[in-house]
Amino acid sequence: MTLYINGIGCISPQHTFDNSVFLPEVKEYATNRLACVDADYAKFFDAGSLRRMGRLMKYGTAAGMIALRDAGIDVPGAITTGTALGLPEVSQKFLRSLIEVEETIVSPTTFIQSTHNTVSSNIALLCKCFSHNNTFSHKGFSFESALTDAQLLTLENTDNILVGAYDEVSDYKYAAMKKTNELRQEPCSNLDIYGAQNKGILAGEGAAFFVLSKEKNENSYGSFIGNKTFYKPENKGEIRNHILSFLQENHSSMEEIDVIITGISGAKEVDETRIELNKNLFTTQTILAYKHLCGEYMTSSAFAFWLASKILKSQQIPDAVILENRNRSPKNILLYNSHKHNHSLMLFKAC
Amino acid sequence: MSELIDTLKVQIIEQLNLQHLKPEDIGDDQPLFVEGLGLDSIDALELIVLLQQKYGIKLANPQDGPLVFKTVKSIADYITEHKK
Repeated sequence: MTLYINGIGCISPQHTFDNSVFLPEVKEYATNRLACVDADYAKFFDAGSLRRMGRLMKYGTAAGMIALRDAGIDVPGAITTGTALGLPEVSQKFLRSLIEVEETIVSPTTFIQSTHNTVSSNIALLCKCFSHNNTFSHKGFSFESALTDAQLLTLENTDNILVGAYDEVSDYKYAAMKKTNELRQEPCSNLDIYGAQNKGILAGEGAAFFVLSKEKNENSYGSFIGNKTFYKPENKGEIRNHILSFLQENHSSMEEIDVIITGISGAKEVDETRIELNKNLFTTQTILAYKHLCGEYMTSSAFAFWLASKILKSQQIPDAVILENRNRSPKNILLYNSHKHNHSLMLFKAC
Repeated sequence: MSELIDTLKVQIIEQLNLQHLKPEDIGDDQPLFVEGLGLDSIDALELIVLLQQKYGIKLANPQDGPLVFKTVKSIADYITEHKK
């Protein structure tokens, strides 16, 4: 089922919240923890609401509001989101205070914001959307599940669906990643992560939202054709088969694909398979990478969705994301992302 | 009483995250809700938590809330009256 991307909103560790520009400059980090660049949240929320909102609550909700404004939609037909970890910073604050006061009485604000669906419900309250509101928490398949939900809703005659994903690096999560040696050793630069000998990932975060509609309009970025997920493939051959069958199911082929957005993370130990695919399967396509911009997190495919949308509309590819340039006009884009054992594919076409 | 009022102002700013205010911006008799500082029902819950956590005082009758939480001074009066 083809859906048109009629509005986008993204807040990430780069300057992405302004839809009138496309990665005007790349923000360099000298650390293995990439944090969101904040928008002017006073433009989205009154002072009373703003003072209560946690960091993710602010940037997640604002990203959704940016997408709605971009699409010129006041009330979406439905809201469906994905988040792997919910709002851990606020949740942990709530749990800590619960321990400190020996399970007596705790702040209602942190309690209210400690559920995974806080952002999608906050957007619903702000835009008075009383329709379908769902949040999927399936690790690396969270955003993909929300997209599938949107496609199914369309079959039920719902239109102008706000789909998005959001996650954050909490202090606790960051400390856990450090302990398990998942992270790149500091000092490091996010602009130099794809070298052959690099080990470890950059911890990332972000929120990206999209208005998906049945009809295209003058603001359409492109079309979202479909997505597919697969778990723990046994070998490279299985990945290759998934990619080729996905394209076939969507009436496309590898020859038609102009651009591959690959979820290469910069960590040698996890990128090996994808580097081999780049060499053997994606031989004629321009190959892009994005995790040096937003870091690695379980819903980073939403950032890649934003990247695909901007490329399709502008028909330009920023140098900062090009791994291998085959000088093809970006009309058909395949996204292949993976986070640990969760692999996903998405297909996009220009309008 | 004056010391308690000053302490309360600092605690209210911290508990309600009123970062744009300084203690001296809040008048002793200034209404806290609606036309005053513009606090709302969630803030009222936060003030109940503050009373219990910082002063060990439970609001015996929730219907007293609007009177108790009317101003910083009325909260200070209630604390003085009920503090063990």
